[in-house]
Amino acid sequence: MAKKWIYALEELGQEHLELVGKKCANLGEMTKLGMRVPPGFAISVDGFEKYMKGTGLGKRIENYFVSQGDDLRKSIQKQMGASRVVKDLIMATPLPTDMAEAIEKNYEALCARCGDANLPVAVRSSGAVSMPGQMETYLNVRGSAEVTRRVLEVWESTFNTRAIAFRLEKGMPVAKAPIGVAVIKMVNAKSAGVVLTVVPTNGDEDNVVIEGNWGLGESVVSGDITPDNFIVNKASLDIEYKLHKKTKWVVPTGNGTAKADVPSHLQDIPCLKDDEIRELVRIALNVEKHFGVPQDMEWVVDQDLPFPENVIWVQARQAKFTAKRKEADADYIVDQMTRLFRR
Amino acid sequence: MTNVNVQNRPVKLSPAVPGFEFDEEADLAQSPAWFLDGTHSVPPWTPLFGWFWINFCRHGMQYGAEKLSLPTVKGWDWRFKNGGGYLTLLLVKTEEEKRQREERFRVAIRPFVENYDGLWKSQLDEMLGLYGGLKKLDLDKASNIEVLDNFEQTINVCRRMWEVHMYMMYGTYTAYILFENMCRELLQIDDTHPLFHKLIIGFDNKVFQVDKRIWEFSQKASKLGLGDIILKSEPENLAKNIEAAPSGKKFMAAFREFLNEDGWRMQRMSEMNMPTWIEDPTPALTNLKQFLVKGGGFNLEQERVTRSKEREAAEKEVLAKIAPDQRGWFTTLLRLAQKSGVFSEEHDHYLDLYTHAMMRRSALAVGRRLTGGGAIDSAEDIFFLIPDEIRKAAINPDQFDLKPIVEARRAEWQEWCKTPNPPVILKEGFDMDQAMGVLVKSNDPIALKVVVGSMPVIRPELKADLHGTCGSPGVAEGLARVILSEDQLADVQPGEILIAATTSPSWTPVFSFIKGVVVDRGASLSHAAIVGREYGIPVLMNVFVGTQQIKTGQRIRLDANMGALYLLDK
Repeated sequence: MAKKWIYALEELGQEHLELVGKKCANLGEMTKLGMRVPPGFAISVDGFEKYMKGTGLGKRIENYFVSQGDDLRKSIQKQMGASRVVKDLIMATPLPTDMAEAIEKNYEALCARCGDANLPVAVRSSGAVSMPGQMETYLNVRGSAEVTRRVLEVWESTFNTRAIAFRLEKGMPVAKAPIGVAVIKMVNAKSAGVVLTVVPTNGDEDNVVIEGNWGLGESVVSGDITPDNFIVNKASLDIEYKLHKKTKWVVPTGNGTAKADVPSHLQDIPCLKDDEIRELVRIALNVEKHFGVPQDMEWVVDQDLPFPENVIWVQARQAKFTAKRKEADADYIVDQMTRLFRR
Repeated sequence: MTNVNVQNRPVKLSPAVPGFEFDEEADLAQSPAWFLDGTHSVPPWTPLFGWFWINFCRHGMQYGAEKLSLPTVKGWDWRFKNGGGYLTLLLVKTEEEKRQREERFRVAIRPFVENYDGLWKSQLDEMLGLYGGLKKLDLDKASNIEVLDNFEQTINVCRRMWEVHMYMMYGTYTAYILFENMCRELLQIDDTHPLFHKLIIGFDNKVFQVDKRIWEFSQKASKLGLGDIILKSEPENLAKNIEAAPSGKKFMAAFREFLNEDGWRMQRMSEMNMPTWIEDPTPALTNLKQFLVKGGGFNLEQERVTRSKEREAAEKEVLAKIAPDQRGWFTTLLRLAQKSGVFSEEHDHYLDLYTHAMMRRSALAVGRRLTGGGAIDSAEDIFFLIPDEIRKAAINPDQFDLKPIVEARRAEWQEWCKTPNPPVILKEGFDMDQAMGVLVKSNDPIALKVVVGSMPVIRPELKADLHGTCGSPGVAEGLARVILSEDQLADVQPGEILIAATTSPSWTPVFSFIKGVVVDRGASLSHAAIVGREYGIPVLMNVFVGTQQIKTGQRIRLDANMGALYLLDK
């Protein structure tokens, strides 16, 4: 019996972290929590393995790395060379037919579900552990052939120079780096951005920070532009606005995305309405409560749907920030408490 | 050991708290100042209760100070004298030891900063588990051996309660005091200032939740048509009359079920010689009746919404005055100070009141066995015996005659009750100011916040009759109601100003319909202050002589903001 290697997002949860990677597992968990998540499917590490084994590519890559010997660790040039070689190997090795058909079947089912025969999707890498150099995201991908190509490219990205260097440095096996892939419907983005349930600059857990721009979230996540900034107090839900002139945004093109100019009438108005802001905060706090730790989440407001169905989530993960800040605060307080006894 | 004559027979009487009776020579040599715990041991304790308190509160304080490794103090020592508890500070003696303790203190106090809620909850769960263990025994069906064993376990539970009590209190008060200091430094306000009060109010706690349940029952009673009979009945007839009324039986059954859960308390928090709410629901029913008399909703909830809004505004105001890079730790500290009020109230319910109710339950069970065997006359005589005597006769009460001892101790106790204990016992040549000075210098959190409190600032220009400190801000004018004991609570009328030595959780419901409170002793974490702030009524504390100088029915004016009280008709 062939092992299952494609899953609908609804089938997944936190427990599938190793199987499909963090992004997919989180999306699955988010669906479980009842959050509005774009529909899609995930390709597990077993799919990666199946490809590598079924085509014999895995062995070839392994042999290649063995032949490179120990010098690989010390030479960036060699790593760059190795990366090119392995990526070329992958490019030259198409997916076995049964796998390509399975991906096509799932893509077509997704199209049917969304009522669009040529549904644009995002194809994103989903590693169990975040590793540098492995982040590949392909947006506005249409048609099963394209989807398949991008899936291969995500797998390829595990052999980017940085990824190879990282694995060598950490003493991890270099020839093998299975990774999950998420294939999810592109949201027709009116606006998009991030929400953090902790203020990253000072570890303040009493407020929520939202950053957003018109169009796709990449403009915010990439840090290329200065987004609108909203700070919302968790208790009172008071909003503090820090608006910026939004001149650039990321929009879908034929088969991909591009940076473009924001229409002038949109540049100075907030990219989120107050009710949208409050809905974002409401859901973010529920997620924070569920996971028990502050969250770093990505949202999109769908152009086509009514409120509140238009508030959609594409990412939710533990916020990185502040164990340090909190430690520092606790240190300070303990210090002062000790001083109380010296007066 | 004293030799007493009971009915012309000589009886060798053991001291009530062996090893801890006050000995002027030895104890004043140890410490020049011993303070009466006026909050808890007035009126004088029965011998058995005194035994429990002196042994285990004393133990708990040393345990707490040691566990936290407080740099300058090692807890308190206690003595028993004529039914009163006297305490004195134990100080760390050398600089070297202070340094060592400081190192350990930093580590020990950290959980309070990083995980206060988890810390409190785990200890609460432990205590509730211990109470559950004690309750398991069917005291009627058990053998004498099992009943005695239950009593021994109860002793252990009391010891553990005081360990938890003092460990939490020391840690919590340390945070509170630090927060107050920071407010003094950064905002020039202390904990008698209205802005400070606003920062820490608007929180629910278990004691309020119990009050709310009673209010809910009052509404239920109304709906069932029991309102009339309740309003017409005298307190002592409430239970009987309700039971006799139609749908009254069912109502009382439900009410008793509620009391089985939350009624583990007596009207006086620091004694065991009166019925618990479970044994006699009269005090709880009286509160219920008072809610009906007052009418309206459970206004504490509405008040809480208002207080919460005020608090949020106050937090905003205060944080704006704090430099941005300080706001992180300041907010953490603020949250801890807010928890102090909740802890202050909740520990009364879950620790003191509950454990004392468990002690009564177990002691009375032994008391019934001793009575059955003829060793004593009635179960309640047990409060005049001490554990060694109880152990002596518990398995075979038919072999022993403890009645002379009961009689002797009861006579003693009745003498104690005639004369109030002095508020402090001082060594020759040592005065009150010096004694206070030592307490302040020690930096002991309990000394600062409980024993010393805040001394009133006398403003002569106000021409007030009495001075006190502000526990809760505001001004009120009305008729005084002086309450000297808990059974007078039923007399409190809506709109009066309550005058008492101190208050306790059983008193909370009356706060919902009085205009203000004046207490002889108290500090900002006192029950009266916390509850007054939540209800938004003025509370004046530390007037010392309020219950002596004010008379019931006298018209008075209370200005808590200025710390002043005026007698309008003299």
